[in-house]
Amino acid sequence: MANIFPRWTNITPLKLAICLGAIGFGVVFVFAVYAGPSSQRVGYQPSQPIPYSHEIHVGQLGMDCRYCHSFVEHGSHANVPSANVCWNCHGADKGRIKSDSPKLQPLYDAMAKNRDGTDTGKPPVPIEWAKIHKAPDYVYFNHSAHVNRGVSCQECHGDVDEMKVVHHDQSLTMGWCLECHRNPEERLRPLEEITNFDYSAEDYLKEHVINNADGERITEPSEFGAFLRAHWNVNPKESCATCHR
Amino acid sequence: MSKRVWSHPEVPVEEKQVQVWRSQDELDRSPLFRNWLDREFPEKSSELTEEERELSRRNFVKLMGASSALAGLGLASCRRPEVGIMPFIKAPEWVIPGKALYYASSMPKAGGSVPLMVTSYEGRPTKLEPNEECPDADGTSAFTQASILNLYDPVRSKSVLNKGKKSDLAAFQSALSSLIKENGSIGFVFGKDDSPTRNRLWGKISSQFPKAKAYAYEALESDTSAEALGKGVKLNVDFARADRVLSFDCDFLELDQVGQVGPFYDRRQGGGNTEKGLYAEALDPDKMNRLYQVEAAYSLTGGLADHRIRVAPSQMVKFASAVAARLGVAGATAPEGLTEGEQKWVAACAADLNEHAGKSIVLAGSRHSKTLQSLVAAMNMALGNVGEGKPGQLLQTGLDAYETAAQLAADLEGEKLDAVVLMTPANPVYDFPADVDFGALLEKVPTSIHLGLRTDATAYAATWHVPSAHYLESWGDTKSSTGTHLLLQPLILPLYGGVGELELLSAFLNKGELALGDEKTPAAGYNEVRETFEAASGNDVATWNNALKMGFVEAKYSAAALPQVQVESTEEFSAPVPTKEALDVMFAPDASVWDGRYIDNSWLQEAPDPMSKLTWDNAAYISPKTADALRISKKLVELEPKTKPYWIFPETATAPQPEIGEAGKAKAYKIDVTINGETVKMAVMVAFGLAENTIVLPVGYGQAAKDGRSGAIAYNSKRPTVGDVGLNSGFNVYPLRTQEAPFFASGAVVEKNSGRYSVALTQEHHSMYGRAIAREVSTNDVESHGHKVGYKSQVKKVAKQGMDSHMPPNQALYKSLDTKGQPLISDKIHQWAMAIDLNVCTGCNSCLVACQAENNIPVVGKEQVAKGREMHWIRMDRYFAAVDDEDNPEMIPQPVACVQCEKAPCETVCPVNATVHNEEGLNVMAYNRCIGTRYCANNCPYKARRFNFFDYNKRNPLIEKNLYKGPLGKKQEGDARSLQRNPNVSVRMRGVMEKCTYCVQRLENAKIKQKQITRSKALVAGLDSDKSEISNEDLRIAVDSVKVACQSACSAGAITFGNKLDGKKAAVVRAKDSLRNYDLLNYIGTLPRTSYLARVKNPNPDVPGAEKVGTATVNIH
Repeated sequence: MANIFPRWTNITPLKLAICLGAIGFGVVFVFAVYAGPSSQRVGYQPSQPIPYSHEIHVGQLGMDCRYCHSFVEHGSHANVPSANVCWNCHGADKGRIKSDSPKLQPLYDAMAKNRDGTDTGKPPVPIEWAKIHKAPDYVYFNHSAHVNRGVSCQECHGDVDEMKVVHHDQSLTMGWCLECHRNPEERLRPLEEITNFDYSAEDYLKEHVINNADGERITEPSEFGAFLRAHWNVNPKESCATCHR
Repeated sequence: MSKRVWSHPEVPVEEKQVQVWRSQDELDRSPLFRNWLDREFPEKSSELTEEERELSRRNFVKLMGASSALAGLGLASCRRPEVGIMPFIKAPEWVIPGKALYYASSMPKAGGSVPLMVTSYEGRPTKLEPNEECPDADGTSAFTQASILNLYDPVRSKSVLNKGKKSDLAAFQSALSSLIKENGSIGFVFGKDDSPTRNRLWGKISSQFPKAKAYAYEALESDTSAEALGKGVKLNVDFARADRVLSFDCDFLELDQVGQVGPFYDRRQGGGNTEKGLYAEALDPDKMNRLYQVEAAYSLTGGLADHRIRVAPSQMVKFASAVAARLGVAGATAPEGLTEGEQKWVAACAADLNEHAGKSIVLAGSRHSKTLQSLVAAMNMALGNVGEGKPGQLLQTGLDAYETAAQLAADLEGEKLDAVVLMTPANPVYDFPADVDFGALLEKVPTSIHLGLRTDATAYAATWHVPSAHYLESWGDTKSSTGTHLLLQPLILPLYGGVGELELLSAFLNKGELALGDEKTPAAGYNEVRETFEAASGNDVATWNNALKMGFVEAKYSAAALPQVQVESTEEFSAPVPTKEALDVMFAPDASVWDGRYIDNSWLQEAPDPMSKLTWDNAAYISPKTADALRISKKLVELEPKTKPYWIFPETATAPQPEIGEAGKAKAYKIDVTINGETVKMAVMVAFGLAENTIVLPVGYGQAAKDGRSGAIAYNSKRPTVGDVGLNSGFNVYPLRTQEAPFFASGAVVEKNSGRYSVALTQEHHSMYGRAIAREVSTNDVESHGHKVGYKSQVKKVAKQGMDSHMPPNQALYKSLDTKGQPLISDKIHQWAMAIDLNVCTGCNSCLVACQAENNIPVVGKEQVAKGREMHWIRMDRYFAAVDDEDNPEMIPQPVACVQCEKAPCETVCPVNATVHNEEGLNVMAYNRCIGTRYCANNCPYKARRFNFFDYNKRNPLIEKNLYKGPLGKKQEGDARSLQRNPNVSVRMRGVMEKCTYCVQRLENAKIKQKQITRSKALVAGLDSDKSEISNEDLRIAVDSVKVACQSACSAGAITFGNKLDGKKAAVVRAKDSLRNYDLLNYIGTLPRTSYLARVKNPNPDVPGAEKVGTATVNIH
């Protein structure tokens, strides 16, 4: 009996296996890269009801983070400012900065004011900002525990002073958290510099004389981190209850 | 598969008589109880029934269909959900998002209100704690802890009703104005709590409306004591001065308070609680007080008593006069008919009291007759126990202005009132003595106004019902037990537009205009309370603000003159002894619903009754011997054939019949209780320590039932009096009460009927192996192995009682060092530990409910409880112990939560590391990591872990079979109760194991707060932050500054918690150094962080049976 299948079909199973393997690998790879938190979260940049620019307020005008996020040192949440904080400068009867800009309409609705500062008589409508950094509800992250111990805003939120529209800068995955909890010395800085986005450890060490335990002046940023860690007794925990309750 | 069982040495023959048990089955060593012991859950309870299997298979198919359909719609669900942040418009002062605020307020309560510290998150009150700043702070009861749930009750009254139909506030206001214009005789009915502002307003009203009258009524508050002592006069006891206490049926530690209980517990510690702190000194038997309890049914106070004797209610006066005669009270004669043992008991007790004349106190249960009240008052006078510097003080309260309930009934009957305004928290149409048809009386009045939280029976019977504001929503003031002026401030605006009592009262002075206030202006109550305050303390704003901040103003009730107490000769002195044909009846307050007002409170309903461990129902209680005599089986748990045809046994058709677990077996028998021709059909259960021929009927249940049971009021869906929680729970015994015998009756006939009733009992759930689990010793010499052993030697051997007397020290399998040789429990700053003192624990459930409030613990409903699936993290075990008298055993409660083993058996079996140890000695749970294998619970010797078999938080477990409907079931998330949740604790979902973690959220908060020292240290010193050095001591929180929820709720101070590294400065370390300290199941070698302190009984050697008191576990091997 003649061969039904020609000779070249002998390697077809191998070809098929390779192809399927490649497709499978590709699917897994694409999912791993594009569906994981580091791609899904990082870069998330929703538009806000008021196109507030951190670049102008922080980068150009030099406002401190804590003017608006006023409870970051005291509470677990770094609060979004209440409308009356914006009103301090932009209000029609207050600072009058850009008080006729149509972009500020949500603020006027929130304060229930007309452009001339009179009451609209309508019920106030709170501004609903879009949330960018969202920890899952079983994670109890506490801002005050970090900023009071030398972890800057910049470490998690990136160079906010350069962001016209804020985006998600770091992945904020549990692995990412643990990386720092295991090696906090790489991320510590003096408390005075917590909200300084231009901080550089090298410059700081040039300006300040800081001696290590042996009385020698510290010049290396890595040594400075270790120095701060030991000096402040920073021993972040890795056990579950630290963040999950 | 059962667990590995140790072989223990045979108990020596001479010690066989020692028995410790939880239930009749344990006493009988029945196979059913063995089943509980061996298993984590009862047989088959963790498997699905046929029906469940069927339901879940269908659901699976449905779900699969639905999810593939959704998948077809594309990857819509992959998109990141948009979440908004809505900040305040104008930030309110003090509010920091995520941080709690604490406000002082108080909970009004008859007999003495409770000063509170209320936790509030962004405007939501979430938790109640005692206000420790107030001198009258006395912990909180389970009722107080649970009262916050009433605030968020989704079935709370929400609208004004006119003759049972929905109306509005404007219509009510116009009716009110016309009522005021008529200036007729209006009757006001208040509760029995004392409120200075209410008293003042009533004074004004009575001058403006000369024909108006005021009454005070609460179902379980009796007027007999005031009849004996004088109008509005009450006895207040300073237990610090009382060396000896004799109580006639007075549950003064829990349900029948006569004064602050903290000092009583301090005296129980025998000088152990000094200025140097708790446990600074060892317990000295000579400094201990001694409690004699004469009672019919076991009360929690009776559980703590050194000598407890069972006396039927009708014989109480007789017994009291026997004591009185020995104390030389004029008019009291030694009665006849006491047994020899009783006479010896009386003689020894009276001699002890005489010896401590002026340093003792005799108490009568508040619901007992005037005769008993007078006898007891006369005894106190004879002993010189009342007066300045003495234990007892007679105080004049502000309640003398109000008439009694009997007067109210008479005035209504005589049609002397044109209108009646019911502001009492009671529900008179339901709970008034049944020989008075209060509903019919209300119809005789042209206008009746009911102000209440619930649309209860009275709400529908009155012409007007007005939803009341909860006490956490209203301004007000009230008095503590000693007369401290406590302030109430609203924590939240009324959720459902409720009207406060003071607002309604002041409307009467203001032409019917209700000033309810809004976000900007306070309600009328504010002005009224402030006016009362200013009359007493001046109008300085700073004083007012400070008083509001502290929650109280120092004040005292004035002392009342000692009355001339006449002991009149009544029939009670020769009352016939109850027989099985004519039983004594005791209408008892219920530990879950009180007089019925908490019927819709699911936390209280699910909290097991402290004595019977019954949940979701009430039942009649009788002693085992009486049960036998009445031919009612003393067996509680019996198998019933499932195939009983319902057309022959109609009762079984309506009773819920879950098929698995204990629920299929625990069916209480039903009886017919008949008093004076009135019959109630209800479930009956056997209770230990009850007087013979006495039946206890807890009140407050059976307010509405859909299942056609005869012992409850039928549910009317158009006029619902209860919500899902109160529906189909228990039996209504109020119809048996008469005005003449409202709290105790005689001559009841009990007949067994063919019915059975399914009960959810938790008494055998989570039973542990081991002997001498709850330990005790006696200050008396105890017979041990043929020789006498004194208190000191007994205490030294506390840690060697039970298994620990013969088991060799155990070696844990688990390593204590990590791979680098470092200790795994490594933290040098905090090491948490707890000690629970059984010497003062009464088993009142306050900790259990407080834990539920703090940790977002769900309620699972009766069916699930019956299957052993209750979620309480604290389990209140209650042991009975008897050396030979099983009819009058001792009772020892023991709260058990996770003991945080250092060598935890649960951790090593978790396949996903969801339960691990942290560096501070806590056995923590990562809920989101748990996959629900339940290996950990299986391996826990303390049975302290609870598993979410269903999504109890999301799905409503109170609707029948709702949990089994999966996503199609009715949801309850997002109803008002979610507002109560603690934002710092995860709400667990289905398939997750949970347990106590020492309120880790409070610990973490305290630690984080302490960490701010890094900043403050630099700022204060004006240093660069890199110059400020932070030591371990800087990061350690202040000694004993964190209180866990159960600890702060406990009025006995039985729970101490703290940091082991604080050394002797920490109360918990001192407690653990005490000789009374022992570890639970020490022989397993788990090294628990929670330890227990043995109970000490202080018997009088002359009382018969004293040699057996406190010895139940002394000789156990």
